[in-house]
Formats: sequence, C-alpha cells, structure tokens
Amino acid sequence: MASAVLTDRRWIARGVERASTSRFALWLAPWVAMLAVGIYATGLCLYYGLNQTNMDNRFAFGLWIFLDLSVIALGAGAFFTGFLVYILGRTDLKPILNAAVVLGFICYSGAVAVLMVDVGQPLRAWFTFWHPNTHSMLTEVTFCISCYLLVLALEYVPVLLRNRRLRKEPSAAVFEYRLHHLVPVLAGVGTFLSFFHQGSLGGLYGVLRGRPFAFREGFSVWPSTFFLFVLSAIAAGPSFLILVTATVEKLTGRPQVPRELLQRLGFLSGVLLGAYVAAKSIDTMIWLNVTTPSMGFAPWEYYAYPPFGSALLFIEIILFGLVPAGLLIYPKTARNRRWLLTGAALACCGILLNRFVLTVQTLALPTLAFDEFLHYTPSWQEVATFGALIAYGVIVFSLSYRYLPLFGQEKQEAANVSGR
Amino acid sequence: MFPGVDGFHWTFAHIIFLSLFFTVLLIILGTLAMAAINTARDVRQGRATEIAWKAEFAQLPEAERRCRHELAGRLAHRVCPNAFDCRHCSEYAHYAALPARNEANTLGLSYPDNRFYHRGHTWVAPEGDGTLTVGLDDLAARLIGDPDTVELPPEGAEIQSDGMAWRMIKNGHTIRVRAPIDGAVVETGGPEKGWYLRLRPHGTLDLRHLLRGPEVAPWLAREIERLQLELAPPKTGPALADGGVLVAGLMDAMPEADWDTALAGTFLEA
Repeated sequence: MASAVLTDRRWIARGVERASTSRFALWLAPWVAMLAVGIYATGLCLYYGLNQTNMDNRFAFGLWIFLDLSVIALGAGAFFTGFLVYILGRTDLKPILNAAVVLGFICYSGAVAVLMVDVGQPLRAWFTFWHPNTHSMLTEVTFCISCYLLVLALEYVPVLLRNRRLRKEPSAAVFEYRLHHLVPVLAGVGTFLSFFHQGSLGGLYGVLRGRPFAFREGFSVWPSTFFLFVLSAIAAGPSFLILVTATVEKLTGRPQVPRELLQRLGFLSGVLLGAYVAAKSIDTMIWLNVTTPSMGFAPWEYYAYPPFGSALLFIEIILFGLVPAGLLIYPKTARNRRWLLTGAALACCGILLNRFVLTVQTLALPTLAFDEFLHYTPSWQEVATFGALIAYGVIVFSLSYRYLPLFGQEKQEAANVSGR
Repeated sequence: MFPGVDGFHWTFAHIIFLSLFFTVLLIILGTLAMAAINTARDVRQGRATEIAWKAEFAQLPEAERRCRHELAGRLAHRVCPNAFDCRHCSEYAHYAALPARNEANTLGLSYPDNRFYHRGHTWVAPEGDGTLTVGLDDLAARLIGDPDTVELPPEGAEIQSDGMAWRMIKNGHTIRVRAPIDGAVVETGGPEKGWYLRLRPHGTLDLRHLLRGPEVAPWLAREIERLQLELAPPKTGPALADGGVLVAGLMDAMPEADWDTALAGTFLEA
C-alpha cells in the first residue's frame, strides 16, 4: 500500500496520493543532473567571464535575455491570478492560486539568477540600485523585479508553512495565518509592480531608436511595446498555468482542479489574447506604414534575411494569436480538453516567439549601410545555464507539489473520483 | 545617483521614481513586519493554539466541517463557520431550539448519554468535585487498541481547547489528540484507567461546543462511513456496509491500511 513506501509520509498532506519516495527520487534524478551541469556552466561564466558565451558587444542580448523575458511573461499568471482573486474578488480561481504563486516565484527567481550571470560581474550587481539611471527602462525593470521577487517570496511563505509538519508548530501556524491575511496587500503591490516591469521590458525595445525593427511610437514616455508586453503577459500567464496544471494531472493521473476552472482560466486568457492580437495588429500596421518609412526603411527589408521571413509575423499574429484566442473563447472548443490545451500551448508559443523575435531578430538585422546580418548561436554554457533554469523550475515545483497544498481542491477532486 | 554619490543632483524624475520605489518597499516590508508583530502578540497572549486550530479547521474537507445542527437533522446543510466553537456562534440558540431527528443507534459503540463529545474523538465527563475527566471515545479507542506509548502532560499543565492534550504512538504513527476543553491538569490517567486527564476548568463551565444527545449518533455514522472509505483497499469503489461492530484494535487487525489518512481524519488534522 502507498503508505508503506512513502518514507516521507509525515511531510505529505493527509488524504492526498503521492508517488513512492523512490519513484519520486527517480523522477528528480535527471533534473538534478541537468541542474548540476548548468551550475558548472554558470561557474565557468562567473569565473572566466562572459567570453564563455557567444554574445559580443554587438549581439549583447542572447539566449538568456530571451529566456528571462519569456519566463517573466509566463510567470505573469501569479500576479494576474492574485489580482483576479484578491482585487476583483474572483474567488472561484482560489484553488489554483498557490500553484500560480509557486510558478511565479520559480519564474522570477530563475530569471533573476540568470540575470546575475548575464551582467557579467555579479559582484557589482548592486550598482544598479546605487547608481541607477532614472531615464532607463531597465532601471525600472531592475527595481520592480527585485521588489516583486520579494513579494512572491512573501506570498510563497504561507504556502510553505502549510506543510503538514511545519503547521504543527503553533507559532509557524500563527505566522502563516497572519501573513495570509495580509496577502491581499501583497497582491495589490504585485499588480502595481508587474504592470510596470512587464511594460518596461517591452518599453526597453520600443525606445531603441537605433534599431528600427523594434522602435515604436507610443504614449508619453511609453512606446506601444510597453502596453503590448503587459497585455501579452497577462494573456499568456493563465495559459501557462493551464498547461502546468494539465501536465501535473497527466503525470500524476489525478485531477487537481475542477475542469470548469481551467475553462474559465482559458476563457480569460483567450479574451485577453484576442485584445492583444487586435492591439498588436494595429501597432504592426502603424509601424510598417508610418514609423518605419519615417526612419528611412522599407518594411520588407526586415524580412529579407532568412530565417526571419515575413511568415514569422503571420505565425505570431495568426497561428499563435488569433487561433488560440478562438480556441480558448469558443465554448465548444474550450469544453474539449484537447482543444483547450492546444489553445493554451499555442498562446504560450506565441509569447515565446514574440520575445524571441524582439530579442534576437532586432539585434541580428543590419541597421546601417555597412552593417551585415549578424549570426548568433548560443554556446554550450549558455544552453546549459538555460537548462539549469528549467531543471530548477521542475525540481522546485515537484517538491512543492509533493509537500505543499498547491491545488486547493485536490482532496475534493480525489474524493469525487473515489466517491468519498 | 543617491545623495553623497559623485555627480548626484536631484531632478523631478529622481523624486517621482524614488518616492514610488521606497513607498512600495515600505509597504512590502511593513506587511512583513505587521505579520511578525501580530504573530508575536498572539503567541505572547496565548492565542497561538486557538489561531493554529482555526487555520487547521479551514483546511479540513468540507464534509468534516458540518455544523452539529446538520448532524442532528435540524438543518439540511450548514458548514460550521466557528471552528466547532458553538460558544461564539450567534445562530446556536436559534438552531438548537429546532426539533432534532431521533436517532439513537450508535452502531454498537459505547457513547453514554452523560458524556459530552468533541469532534476529535474525546469525551468530557463532569465530576462531582468540579473537575472534568477527559478520555478517548469508543471509536478512537477501538481503532488504536493498546497504544505503544502515551505521552501525557504533567500535572499543573495548562491545556487549551483544540490544542494538543496528549500524544500517543501506535505502530509508528504519532497521534496528537486534541483537547476538548480548556483547563489545568490535576491528574493523569491512561488507557488502563479508561480516562487520560482530569482537568480543572477555568471560570464558568461551558460545554456548549461539545456534541451530545441526538447529535452523537448521526456524527458517529458519518465518521464510520469516512473510515470505511479511507481504510478500503486502493482503487476500491464505494460499497455498502455489511453491518457488524467495529472490532477493538483495528490498527493491529489491518496493519496494511492507510492509517495515516484515517488517523488524521479521526483526530482533525487537515
């Protein structure tokens, strides 16, 4: 019976089924190995410097920045779910809130860790706080992400303290109770911070006058990419949450949340994605017909360098934008689990492609008459560090799932299945 | 950028940016400080047990948080909003006046009418000298049989309602028994005596939060149903009970069952 092989049963919540300890260790082993290789690669980058990467002074943003932008966007489900539950009163989404918080924490802590390697001299990372340039979008990003990581850590603490063993210590239980009651404040602060750092990450590209592929007009000091990044992040965040939940359900063979909850989350994601596609389409039309010609460029020049053809633009807007929005909104497809997951996966692919295009294509394209199209292939150290972040995420999420109440209605769902 | 750093001079952007940043930082740190201060105050004022129980109660499955009046058939459906403490329930008197369903079948278990029962499977019996004896109810006693170890609080120790009264170990499982009432321990017993603690309550005796009379049998029926499902072999669907009386020492009789889940449910652990 299950309890006989669960040597860590006392740490696992009552009434939930978990894999045997040995099976769980087997599951973790390859991820730990991947993490170890990544830590070694990171060590090389920190010890020898950024010459271990294939980035240079002209191709200064590479795989890591693409990764950072992507995980920060996918982690937006944390602040957005908190905003919906605590600020807008959507308590029906509460069963998935803990999972969203843990996912957000993993995404942001991982992104900050990779950024520390990416800055080249992490011992001077504090310079950004003491000598910040208040005219830089990156300054706002740095300040907001640091603060928001602190917020996520504080939101993670009550989840941690709900561990079966830790809860038995009355003072820990009281701290969890007290902190949990203040979480709405943190949700509000998280929303504020996320709005600005998600936006500023987009704004960072939009203000690049020297890079016409990324440059956009906008509102006051904010280019249009500021708002597009916010909108795309809150559209893709819930989709990523759906995918992660569905993966957990698939791997464990047990339902974790009511089916309708994923549909509701999908609908929200779909509506926001639809709004994003509309905004992105208008922005693209203005960019191609007004902004680009005014800078002396012809729009087709951007797409004259394979593999960055114009098909990428259509894939991003239609296949990874309009199609998933339809799948997630249309009741008949949203009710079908396979279509729901397809929609969520396409939405996540859309955000990855958008961040990739803005990071890599922007830098690869020539901007001056004597410029050449730049090629960049990440070094194994960059890829291994990338892999380490993914392994770190899987390990933290797996441990959290095993020992913490990530899905608020897991027991109820299990009871429904068993008839209890 | 900051004052004292070479070349620093204030601009409007500095003022706006730094004001916002430090406001946000203050709110975050203030939230953490407030949680820590409130926790320290609660612990100092002896409210830790009560709050820990309320937090635990909120995590219990809904089926285990049903109001006593639902159990007694006075209401169709009600989830207890007061962590089983009817002494602070504004609706208690209203519902208690409604007619209860007359079900007296305690399924072959011994639940004397002169005792008061806590949902964590302990009983309280008032004694003539103003003290209260506290023991394990028949269902819990039959489950555990003879415990391997019993750790009782020392005489004079203060016990808080819903906090841990005593601890037992059986077949490697640690069982934390919740106290049904507040009081100071005046004498300790054990399984051989049929009771575990003799308490002297504080202030006026109020046992309203404990089950009694027509509430006991329906509660017991639900508890046995829960146990049947939790102790059934995995992948077994719900089945009709085939009657009979719970045997004594069930943990010894069914060592392979999922006792972790069953004991946690019996002793109100979420």
